[in-house]
Amino acid sequence: MTAGAPGSPERRAGARERRLAQTEGPAWSLPVLEPAAGRRAAPGSSGQARGRAPDVPRGRPGSAPSGASPGRSGKRRPAWGPSSSCAKFPAPGPGRRTAGPQAEPAPRRGFQTLTMASGGWPWRRCCSWRPAARSPGPGSPGRAGPPRTPSAADAGAQMSYFNLVKSLTSAFPHRYSMSRFHHTTLAVCCCSKTQSGEKYTDPFKLGWRHLNGLYEDIRKELLISTTELKEMSEYYFDGKGKAFRPVIVVLMARACNIHHNNSRDVQASQRSIALIAEMIHTASLVHDDVIDDASSRRGKHTVNKIWGEQKAVLAGDLILSAASIALARIGNTTVISILTQVIEDLVRGEFLQLGSKENENERFAHYLEKTFKKTASLIANSCKAVSVLGCPDPVVHEIAYQYGKNVGIAFQLIDDVLDFTSCSDQMGKPTSADLKLGLATGPVLFACQQFPEMNAMIMRRFSLPGDVDRARQYVLQSDGVQQTTYLAQRYCHEAVREISKLRPSPEREALIQLSEIVLTRDK
Amino acid sequence: MSLRQLLLRLPRYLGVSGSPRRLWWSSSLDTISSVGSWRGQSSRSPAHWNQVVSEAEKIVGYPTSFMSLRCLLSDELSNIAMQVRKLVGTQHPLLTTARGLVHDSRHNLQLRGLVVLLISKAAGPSSMNTSCQNYDMVSGIYSCQRSLAEITELIHTALLVHRGIVNLNELQSSDGLLKDMQFGNKIAILSGDFLLANACNGLALLQNTKVVELLASALMDLVQGVYHENSALAKENHITEDIGISTWKKQTFLSHGALLAKSCQAAMELAKHDADVQDMAFQYGKHMAMSHKINSDLQPFIKEKTSDSMAFNLNSAPVVLHQEFLGRDLWIKQIGEAQEKGRLDYAKLRETIKAGKGVTSAIDLCRYHGNKALEALESFPPSEARSALENIVFAVTRFS
Repeated sequence: MTAGAPGSPERRAGARERRLAQTEGPAWSLPVLEPAAGRRAAPGSSGQARGRAPDVPRGRPGSAPSGASPGRSGKRRPAWGPSSSCAKFPAPGPGRRTAGPQAEPAPRRGFQTLTMASGGWPWRRCCSWRPAARSPGPGSPGRAGPPRTPSAADAGAQMSYFNLVKSLTSAFPHRYSMSRFHHTTLAVCCCSKTQSGEKYTDPFKLGWRHLNGLYEDIRKELLISTTELKEMSEYYFDGKGKAFRPVIVVLMARACNIHHNNSRDVQASQRSIALIAEMIHTASLVHDDVIDDASSRRGKHTVNKIWGEQKAVLAGDLILSAASIALARIGNTTVISILTQVIEDLVRGEFLQLGSKENENERFAHYLEKTFKKTASLIANSCKAVSVLGCPDPVVHEIAYQYGKNVGIAFQLIDDVLDFTSCSDQMGKPTSADLKLGLATGPVLFACQQFPEMNAMIMRRFSLPGDVDRARQYVLQSDGVQQTTYLAQRYCHEAVREISKLRPSPEREALIQLSEIVLTRDK
Repeated sequence: MSLRQLLLRLPRYLGVSGSPRRLWWSSSLDTISSVGSWRGQSSRSPAHWNQVVSEAEKIVGYPTSFMSLRCLLSDELSNIAMQVRKLVGTQHPLLTTARGLVHDSRHNLQLRGLVVLLISKAAGPSSMNTSCQNYDMVSGIYSCQRSLAEITELIHTALLVHRGIVNLNELQSSDGLLKDMQFGNKIAILSGDFLLANACNGLALLQNTKVVELLASALMDLVQGVYHENSALAKENHITEDIGISTWKKQTFLSHGALLAKSCQAAMELAKHDADVQDMAFQYGKHMAMSHKINSDLQPFIKEKTSDSMAFNLNSAPVVLHQEFLGRDLWIKQIGEAQEKGRLDYAKLRETIKAGKGVTSAIDLCRYHGNKALEALESFPPSEARSALENIVFAVTRFS
């Protein structure tokens, strides 16, 4: 992923426009890639000096080219304006602090309003989380790099993906720019109300109106004569899960139906997709738990701990086959292809999780790709499937897919954050689970930018005694948690931007709200 | 490149030539290999069987080459190979399953796929729908039917891999390190899922919802069948559940017949044959598979030279039939008599069973299913392919 190259602002703007025009990218691509100016404007903080040409404009608001559309420039402007960050950012880096004096009042005000509107920090603190007491990152000096020759500008064109992501998410102006963007764009679509705190019906309540009897229906699909096998397959369909996926799916179905012909119904086939999504998800959970040797989930023992690995794997296969039968009965080959993609992605995601990359930049791309495949693909493709069933317009299918993809990635990013900030009682599964499995998730990768000594731990997959605890400490000391949350926010904003293209409906608003719930959930 | 050749790339790392070790799971794996695959054939009248198969392969065009390039070229597969390599030296059953696939490839037996292709060819193009599709016919078989044959093999192999998962809490200290077994499980699950995902993908490409439903339900049957077989193996004291022959037939249909029966039916559906033809194909697949299964169950009892100590499956057709004739109490008594210090003397038990009526009635049952399969074939027009299908039945019902 190379994008948002430095160089002249014009060039950057051009690059961005190209990217925006591009509909097909890597599935996990960032919603909208910003030039990394905010980051670059703060020399000395970790990871940003790399790839910067000396003659790159410092990104004052005035220096922004006027070529872009008003909405875009409105969004971009703060990114050039380096930062009033320290005032609001709870854990500003030294680099950003130096940039502070250049701050301009206007963006700051905008940020304040928005922060208040969205209710302050988007994650809840719980148990072990503590505000990052930042020691100046030891990583900084090593990263600063020698002064660049002019040719470095070109080298910067391949600026590391990681740094890019980091710059996107960590610099304070960015948050402003996103929020600002939210306002300018969304005001048009009349959904800025959600920003001002006005509450609609709880999306879960709205979704459940169409999901009554969801689990009974799923159990009906599992037509199995053997008692034990049936019990195993139904184990997670006890109605105690969040049913996050089915809720998104039925809401999306309604939103698409209303968009298409103002139909207030959810078709039976669309409701089936909700069932199938939950079944595919559960089948993958059962297999994942065996693979990870997990012992608890949703506050109860895992299938493999109760019945043993051998039977658990078969139970997973069984749920998958039941889902495939239900899928085939819908009788739509396009929908079959869409959801088959999910099964393939789930397996590929699991394979990606087995491997790790040595190169930092690849590592982040690898992580996002894995996140897309393991979590977002299911949500994206089931959203797409209901849109295909409800509306013939391919534009709507793409909106549904993009919404699901972005919310899905955000969902997983927050999940990875919660693995650090939540306590096991709340999650229903043990925390630091990812570290124990040797997985470096978003917070770790970000923390590693500040504490390069984590690199070795990542490479050995936290296998030495004490690695897990040390890595956890590093993460909590760094702003990895915040940065991952910001990244999740970006994905959510993108999801909102997508879904706002549909005609207004209570379900559309619920989907917008749902994207916020994704960010603020604590379990 | 066939699936087996492909999977072969894994075991090349595995030291396939290594002497077969008798391991704690060996009895269960023997069951898997003789019961769960077609391999048992090679040891029985090899000349005849191999001849039947290789002639049949000629009929369907080129040697049954399943598993397409997209699979071969995938990163995942080389990833699996890399990971399996790490398993060498451990005692995870996945290694044995992989070795079994190697072994099969030497005989090039992918019988399920082969039967699907043969019955496709025997049925020919549908008279109802001659307008289209003929362009992609090679050797009288549509390309979608070839994909179906491949999918059938993929599903079968996936379950073969998944049934070899080890229960970690039942491990004994002699079974090697816990983490080796955990790792082996991980790889086995992933490779099985990978094969299943490829099967799903192939199914979606067929663009026929009825075929998807048939194969998905075949997968469901297969899983349940494997579950029954696995739980039957897990019994303590060698006392098997008293299931009776009718339950045995139901379970064996699930574990052995359903996939082939439903694949044969789906092959007809792909060529737009009507419900009657589909049903005949289903019947052939079902009865041929049943008769084949009973045949392999019979092998330990009819072979001239049996290494005496060799274990056999206590849930195989002759044993279940023997038990039914004898009654539960007498059977438990016989099992008890054949046991010595908790170890079952298979040689002794085999003689006891051979003295009863179980073996002959199993042969009868095998022939009954063989005849049913031949009956189903009568509705197809005479052809080379039909003869090959008949020969397969003759080969599995011959006991002399």
